[in-house]
Amino acid sequence: MGDGNRIEALKAIDPACADPGYWDRFRDAVLEQAAFQLARRRELARESVEAILSGWSKPLIPLAVAAALVAAFLAGAMASGDPNPATPPALALEDVLESEVGDGFYRAVIDGSDAAGATAFMTLVEATR
Amino acid sequence: MKELSDGELVVLARSGDRDAFSELVRRYQRPAYSVALSVAGNHQDAEDAAQEAFLTALQRLDDCRNPAKFGGWFLAIVRNRSRNLVRRESLRSGDPIPETAHTKEPSPAKAAQLSALRSRLEEALQTLTEVQRQIVLLHDLEGWKHDEIAERLGLPSGTVRSHLHFARKALRVELADWGDHE
Repeated sequence: MGDGNRIEALKAIDPACADPGYWDRFRDAVLEQAAFQLARRRELARESVEAILSGWSKPLIPLAVAAALVAAFLAGAMASGDPNPATPPALALEDVLESEVGDGFYRAVIDGSDAAGATAFMTLVEATR
Repeated sequence: MKELSDGELVVLARSGDRDAFSELVRRYQRPAYSVALSVAGNHQDAEDAAQEAFLTALQRLDDCRNPAKFGGWFLAIVRNRSRNLVRRESLRSGDPIPETAHTKEPSPAKAAQLSALRSRLEEALQTLTEVQRQIVLLHDLEGWKHDEIAERLGLPSGTVRSHLHFARKALRVELADWGDHE
């Protein structure tokens, strides 16, 4: 028997030579027996993912709580300290005259050279009282 | 599944991916059978050993330190399982693969001829050393190259070539009269 024929003859060793479906059934048989082990590995993989996530969340939860507390504290401090006060309401003319302008102002106005203006102003002041 | 490397398949199979493990079985079932047959010397034991080797490999997949070299690691398991099976024939486990109605059987005459040839080949292979049987089957039956065999059996490439040369020479002598038999 020559090398070519011998190599060809060696194919008779392959079970699929006499049984073409042999290797498909071989694989099915292995996978059937491996089903439990594969399922166990899937379960372990799932658990390890959960463990990783839970490992991350354990330090994160207190950190998040602390961050929330700090944020709440800062918000409260900002509200009470009023670092950016709103624009104060405009004073009315009367308020200005009564609270912000002292007697010296009136006197200055009255002593001014524009007597007509001063008279008119006083008339206006008297009228509003 | 797209063509993944052995290493990628091993990583997926570690997580219980059935398709990945199925692909590993598809790739290595013939080489595993050849190696098991080289050790056990008969079809039934070779089939049992190859099947058990896959299950053992799955159980120990985390021990495969270099997934890219799964082939060599796995064939070492096949050899060990086969040797254990030979030593402990009585503890053989695993049911034989059931025959199905879909199997396309050869004609009785052809089957008888194949059976005779198979027996003759198995006898001839028994005249070789275990490693010579592994190499000649992986090379001539599975079509593996010298370097692939060397890597997966953990042998120098030159040693593989040498074993193959002497194995072929021995088989040539053992099967010299087969043509006359036909």
